[in-house]
Amino acid sequence: MQLTGAEIIAECLLEHGVDTVFGYPGGAVLNIYDALYKYSDKITHILTSHEQGAAHAADGYARTTGKCGVVIATSGPGATNLVTGIATAYMDSIPMVAITGNVSNDLLARDSFQEVDICGITMPITKHNFIVKDINDLANVIRKAFRIALSGRKGPVLIDIPKDVTGAKCEYIYEKPKEITNKLVSGEQDFLNAAKVINSAKRPIIYMGGGVISADAEKELLEFAEKIDCPVATSIMGLGGFPSSHRLFMGTIGMHGGYETGKATDNADIIITVGARFSDRVAGDREKFGKDASIIQLDIDKAEINKNVKINYSLIGDLKDTLAGLTKAVNAAKHVEWTKQVEQWGKNSSVSQTPDSDIYAHPYHIIDEVRNLTNDDDIIVTDVGQHQMWVSQRYRFEKPRTWCTSGGLGTMGYGLGAAIGSAVANPKKRIVLFTGDGSFHMNLNELATVRSYNLPIVVIVMNNTVLGMVRQWQKLFYGRRFSQTDPHRKTDFARLAESFGVCGMRINNDSEAAEVLKEAFALNAPTVIDCRISPDENVLPMIPPGKTVDDMITEME
Amino acid sequence: MIHKQIIGLLVHNHPGVLLRITSLFTRRGFNIDSLTVSPAGIDGYSRMTIRINGNDDQVEQFINQMMKIVDVKKAEILPEDTSAVSELILIKVNYDNTNPNLVLDVTSAYHASLVNIGKNSMTFRAAGTPGEIDRMVSELTKYGILEMARTGIAALEKGDACLADIQ
Repeated sequence: MQLTGAEIIAECLLEHGVDTVFGYPGGAVLNIYDALYKYSDKITHILTSHEQGAAHAADGYARTTGKCGVVIATSGPGATNLVTGIATAYMDSIPMVAITGNVSNDLLARDSFQEVDICGITMPITKHNFIVKDINDLANVIRKAFRIALSGRKGPVLIDIPKDVTGAKCEYIYEKPKEITNKLVSGEQDFLNAAKVINSAKRPIIYMGGGVISADAEKELLEFAEKIDCPVATSIMGLGGFPSSHRLFMGTIGMHGGYETGKATDNADIIITVGARFSDRVAGDREKFGKDASIIQLDIDKAEINKNVKINYSLIGDLKDTLAGLTKAVNAAKHVEWTKQVEQWGKNSSVSQTPDSDIYAHPYHIIDEVRNLTNDDDIIVTDVGQHQMWVSQRYRFEKPRTWCTSGGLGTMGYGLGAAIGSAVANPKKRIVLFTGDGSFHMNLNELATVRSYNLPIVVIVMNNTVLGMVRQWQKLFYGRRFSQTDPHRKTDFARLAESFGVCGMRINNDSEAAEVLKEAFALNAPTVIDCRISPDENVLPMIPPGKTVDDMITEME
Repeated sequence: MIHKQIIGLLVHNHPGVLLRITSLFTRRGFNIDSLTVSPAGIDGYSRMTIRINGNDDQVEQFINQMMKIVDVKKAEILPEDTSAVSELILIKVNYDNTNPNLVLDVTSAYHASLVNIGKNSMTFRAAGTPGEIDRMVSELTKYGILEMARTGIAALEKGDACLADIQ
């Protein structure tokens, strides 16, 4: 059937089961938005306040569902506003298709109004990108884009489409997407070699990451860890991929990870890395990371092997396959002394907080009170900074895809958009956004979106009136010279929320927390809670950059 | 140990593919000293020959990163001892009445052909391994090199195996 380019886009989205897109209209995407009007019974479009919010929303949608997020923006500034959102998704391997309009073919390369080379700009932050200059290529490019985004190591793909292509017509024939299967690269001998090493282990640990969630391999990991009785540490990205309540779970690893994960890494004889990438926030000192250990790495991306840390054995393929194969190949084991030792380290790990006060609440207390009100399926979103680390240390995640945070890029301003995407995708689940006053100030414009779609997100602003994480580094490494981190802005977040038509509340100290949170949750409506915390609260423990657990800071002013 | 390795790439001949590959050099910190691009002899494909300075881990990482680019079909090491490696140079050498024979002695030793004679210069064309070209350049330096252009290296595996064998 003859369809316009814009209609072909809609049809191809439907081919891939897309029923929700995020975006913002503009001149170069008028044809696309006209088609979305026509297809509005099949495709829901969520209009954000800013394209960045739309990109983060598509990201949150993807993280919490496992589906590919879709975002649409116009040419020029619309496209450049997506950049931070695309880079965030790229760093965390989140599947996303970004569709941008561009000026018509005859205006391209002439510095036309709202023209920008978005393919050039996004080349280093996408798995691949396309500019479609001929309508006859359009359907197949969209199909390829979804395939690339969702296969292998997932990630964002951008399609740039000049306006005349969306307006032109050509023949469209429905195609069912081919099932995506990832090749198992490693052979039987690789599994036997890895198994032999694991069978000889006396002090093994598993270091898991976001790959476990991306591959939906949580059951396979649990079975593997239990069979070899191996303590599990996780990167920030892996939270939810292994139940926090499990006896083998140690917590997060790295700069703000627990004492026990640091000691266990240092003392392990074998580290089995599952879908994680030894970032500098985990392996601060690349040479000393797991200094006495053989390292086995399971990943879908071959380029991760030996990228940051020297690997002794690797298994390449979908984690579901490599974990299942490895579980079959290893002998069941018990590591009674070792797990007891790890548990003992856990008991020795204590963290100092600011003294009790009438005018401040404590982050851990707030997080605990929220956890009392949520169930295991509810979704926790964060922005970036101290609050993010407190939540990652304290909140007990039990299930995958209940956690959205910008782990790799560390994007302040990520949270509210991601919470919107999570809420749209999961209408039956509770969505809680933990943010800080710094992060929230960046993209709080999306409160308008939250209100427009009446998304019952509870936003908890951990408001210490300072840019706490950077300030903490200035305390430690820059002689307490608080350069530009003490803004002490006067924003009243509760009243600000009211002005958007969103319910505003306050928590001034620990004793108010339980009641206010209970009330907020009962409203089941968009809510912002301005939660006052001390500017001197620190994230501890902390391993300074480039150092090891031996240099761990557990106390500071 | 840092050494030079030659990598042959087979890539889809799409617009922007050169940028996709070269932008990785800076992004991932690879140290490249030669890059050539030409048709691969198969419709829709180009062949690139890249020489990288690095240790074995860096070369492995380079190939793995290249293979992640959607437009890259193949990336393989072409070991110098089992490959035919060649590059071409055009070089303009200063001469006065005292040295033309000396210059010609050098260039004939490298089978360079004279392509042009100016008032005070001679221009030669030579092909050879990068090492041969380097040696010729160094021997000509004392006579005064006015300018030169080198194509960068091309390399093919010796024997019957072909990088361009694709299913």
